[in-house]
Amino acid sequence: MLSAQERAHIAQVWDLIAGHEASFGAELLLRLFTVYPSTKVYFRHLGDQPDEVQLLSHGQRMLQAVGVAVQYMDNLHAVLSPLADLHAQVLRVDPTNFPLVIQCFQVVLASHLQGEYTVEMQAAWDKFLTGVAVVLTEKYR
Amino acid sequence: LPNHPTLSLSHRVNVEEVGGEALGRLLVVYPWTQRFFEHFGDLSSADAILGNPKVKAHGKKVLDTFSEGLKQLDDLKGAFASLSELHCDKLHVDPENFRLLGNVLVVVLARRFGGEFTPELQANFQKVVTGVANALAHRYH
Repeated sequence: MLSAQERAHIAQVWDLIAGHEASFGAELLLRLFTVYPSTKVYFRHLGDQPDEVQLLSHGQRMLQAVGVAVQYMDNLHAVLSPLADLHAQVLRVDPTNFPLVIQCFQVVLASHLQGEYTVEMQAAWDKFLTGVAVVLTEKYR
Repeated sequence: LPNHPTLSLSHRVNVEEVGGEALGRLLVVYPWTQRFFEHFGDLSSADAILGNPKVKAHGKKVLDTFSEGLKQLDDLKGAFASLSELHCDKLHVDPENFRLLGNVLVVVLARRFGGEFTPELQANFQKVVTGVANALAHRYH
């Protein structure tokens, strides 16, 4: 459960990302593939060497989904249900990969927000993204 | 393991500040890690934790040791052998905590260096913190 302060921190950080989903998403994916190359096995549809256009396009989709999650953070089960189905039936991303995405997300936020990225924001986003990952994998079996 | 790319940033790191911040953020973002630091006094809020002199001192000590370890990247298991035994036999620390702290340290570095903290640099640092965490876990029995 997210406290009122945690919800505020989550929304506050999202306000800084909103409108830039493509570039943030592309950087997230680039970091993911560079730091954790094994994650590329799940993105073969982007080709062997995903180019900037593909990273921007797919990154935007991922961050837009995060934005929806932010908007409905009190009801993730309902709003993420179609994505949960997709991950369980089609994508079947091993659950151990979600913490890797979360770590890269934290690095993206920290490197862009720097002095403004308070510990409270880091804690709230870690809790929030972990909650998203739980919902995305909860239909796996 | 990587060498100069990591060390080129390392000499610009204020060990006391970064160490204290990394340990402090660990204790806030993952509050269960406080179980090892109940004797540190006031950990009642994020501000209390980040301002706590014992947290800062211990963070500095941890990062000093980590930096020493960076000088022996080709034999981390050797370099951290006795510390590994200490953390197992005397401190009884779950090695997962080493991985969590390593990840938080990477986020703190990203916060400090911003755009300079490229995906490649992140990859190098993640490899190093993983190496240190594994070395610290290596002597557990």
